[in-house]
Amino acid sequence: MTEQTLSNQQIQRSKPWSQQVLVALLKRNSARIGLLWIGILVVIATFSPFLASSHPLYMVVDGQISSPLLMHMSAQDWVWLAAFIFTLVLFKWSRPVWQKLLFWLGLVAVSAVVANVLASPPTLIIYEQYREMQAAGELDKVMYAPIPYSAKDYLRDYANTGVEAPLEATERTHWLGTDENGADVASRMIHASRIALGIGFIATGIALVIGTIIGGLMGYFSGIVDIIGMRLVEIFEAIPTLFLLLSFVAFFGRSIYMMMVIIGITAWSGYARYVRAEFLKLRQQDFVQAAVACGLPLRSILFRHMLPNGLAPLLVATSFGVASAILAEATLSFLGLGLIDDPSWGQLLNQAVQSSTFNWWLAVFPGGAIFMTVFAYNLLGEALRDAVDPHTNRNRQA
Amino acid sequence: MLNYLLRRLLLMVPTLLGITLVVFVVMAAAPGGISAQTLVDGMELEPQSRKALEDYYNKLYGLDQPAPVQYLRWLNNISPVGFERNVDGTLGSFSLWKGSDLGTSFRYGRAVTDLLAERLPITLLLNLISIPLIYALAVGIGVQAARDRGGRFDVSSNIFLLGLWSVPSMLAGVLFIGFFASEQYWRWFPTGGLMRRETASETFLPLFASFTDVLIAVGCVAVLTLLFMQLLSRLSTSNRQWLGVVIGAGLGYMMALNLYGQWFGVLHIVLMLLLALLMRSLCNLQNLSLRLAIAGSLGLGLGLGLAAQLGVTFLQNGYLLDRIWHLVLPIIALSYGGLAFLAKLTRSSLLENLAANYARTARAKGVDEESVLWRHVFRNSLLPLITVSATLLPSLLAGSVIIESIFSIDGMGKLAVEAVQTRDRELVLSVTLISGLLTLFGYLMADIAYALVDPRVSYD
Repeated sequence: MTEQTLSNQQIQRSKPWSQQVLVALLKRNSARIGLLWIGILVVIATFSPFLASSHPLYMVVDGQISSPLLMHMSAQDWVWLAAFIFTLVLFKWSRPVWQKLLFWLGLVAVSAVVANVLASPPTLIIYEQYREMQAAGELDKVMYAPIPYSAKDYLRDYANTGVEAPLEATERTHWLGTDENGADVASRMIHASRIALGIGFIATGIALVIGTIIGGLMGYFSGIVDIIGMRLVEIFEAIPTLFLLLSFVAFFGRSIYMMMVIIGITAWSGYARYVRAEFLKLRQQDFVQAAVACGLPLRSILFRHMLPNGLAPLLVATSFGVASAILAEATLSFLGLGLIDDPSWGQLLNQAVQSSTFNWWLAVFPGGAIFMTVFAYNLLGEALRDAVDPHTNRNRQA
Repeated sequence: MLNYLLRRLLLMVPTLLGITLVVFVVMAAAPGGISAQTLVDGMELEPQSRKALEDYYNKLYGLDQPAPVQYLRWLNNISPVGFERNVDGTLGSFSLWKGSDLGTSFRYGRAVTDLLAERLPITLLLNLISIPLIYALAVGIGVQAARDRGGRFDVSSNIFLLGLWSVPSMLAGVLFIGFFASEQYWRWFPTGGLMRRETASETFLPLFASFTDVLIAVGCVAVLTLLFMQLLSRLSTSNRQWLGVVIGAGLGYMMALNLYGQWFGVLHIVLMLLLALLMRSLCNLQNLSLRLAIAGSLGLGLGLGLAAQLGVTFLQNGYLLDRIWHLVLPIIALSYGGLAFLAKLTRSSLLENLAANYARTARAKGVDEESVLWRHVFRNSLLPLITVSATLLPSLLAGSVIIESIFSIDGMGKLAVEAVQTRDRELVLSVTLISGLLTLFGYLMADIAYALVDPRVSYD
């Protein structure tokens, strides 16, 4: 064996595990499709105020240039933008993933504080003023977003608005129709993508943290801790999740953050099981024994040494977990226990059969969006399972 | 075994206590919580009578007591052994056989036991029809996919099943109602409920005008079913595909005709093409039993249609047909998700066992592939299916919450939503208790089945 081949082999072997998984993942078409749809959703969610808004992007009144859209951006809009930019910047940064993640979280937190202090959109929002100004000929120049209706713009200036099929109205265009309040469905769906994405990520994040800690302690200590922990897991598994969610939401009121927390604390039991099983296997291994012998603190043994080795099943479960969190939010909204005025796909879907007639556009488009998102995460989870599974990899090479 | 059973049953008690405790804490910790005020709110009452009503509720349900006391009182009520409860709400003497009482629903003003006795059978009916259906179809599809590993059926069914699994059941329910039950499109099925009001006074089986009608109807169904079964089992693959195309196009044309009443249009072509493709791929299935199932359902549907065309009229549809007619859409909407999940599981479990050493040994001995699959591999692959059956029941119960709300079926799922929305403490706790009990019972059954099927597992 020459030195050249030896060094090649070493280089191949030294590739970090996360990169190996990523490469194996990107080879699969299903993962690509899933990631593509999630990427599109992220872009739509980030730029939703620019995509659908009643406020003009740019207008000239009496020679004065102004941008009502930027004026009306809320703190949340700015945070989404900032988080998106941070993600792009940090993506190229050559640091370990967990460092990047922590840094990203810190940056987002800082920007959230800054945005809440600085951004002060007007509290009284009159959506129809621009249309009235335009009709009166006061606007010299005006440029609207691609969909010139906000999510909560109920088109009060047009008489008798309500459920309208796509492209039914003559004086204005609603590509996907309007809902029962007269708001544009396309606009509501664009703004609702934020809720779907946010719920998916944050609720799963919370569940992941709780599940990892409890499962890790159960697996590492076993014995009495394990027995008590398993009873806890069994309790949470035997409560019908949907029912617990219903009672939480019904009794604690409706807020998006509350919903994230609730979905998070009802979904952790599965992760705890996975982590426990992995840790039970790992705790007998030499490197863990070595870490214990070195006198490392428990936190370090559990999360720096053991967790990265038991990550594979957790990753797969996370992807499916995001899908079910999105589904849970949609279900709650569908049952009329979701957010009240804010747009949500499930709530739009609910309106499809609420009136005496069946409004197909309220079923097909929001329902299709829920389906596509859930499907994307499931595809990703499936591909991830194959990518981290040593058996399928071996078969592939053979 | 008996020892194990007893231990498991005893372990259920703390778990059930934990479940109700979690739900009770949620209710008690909520802003507003449960108090007599929330019950009286919204009623138009004079101050005195409002006060009197509040006092009455407080006394009756003990709502003015601290939360832990309320929970203990509730526990005392449901446990068969405990203190007797007097009419005025105070506790009486200790008794060993006072019987358990789930209390009275705030909102309905009726005993919770009565309400549950009314609602639970309906939900169980939905679930008990779904589970065998799911298993039969899932095993069929899974076996076929595993046999054809890497082939066209395997790859396409894999994507299709994953897609099916991702369809939210409320979307399926809404689309079913919208397209197959509403007046705007095909009005084939009822929009909700479990039976028409007239049916209550009708016979169990359908009633025909004369005996010849019965003969014609049965004959049509039998002839068509047998014909399709013969055709689908005997014909070669390409002929089967053509048969499928013809049947699908015919059905598509009839659907369009049914909707529009025009003789021809764009919709006709689209529906004919769609259904022709669907039927072509269905007839193309390599699995004989799946094909026979399709032939059977085709024969039944078309046979009844043909009989109706021949002038057979039902005097009364009867209880049985009416019930089936109402159950078709909810059952499909309830079961497709579990079906997709189980079919994928069957496939992966079969594949794992087909590659196992004992399967290779069997092949090396000269056992043919069919026997290897059914006599050696299939039995061993059933184990994960049994494990999963435990989680199937809870997910079906959760599914029936959605399905019952969409199809307005008065089952336990709908009761749960109503109870939560009206903050009906007694009802919420009881529904939690019952569904937790059913879930735990499902886990126990799965574990027992596991021991029965796998001789390696023993609980002694």
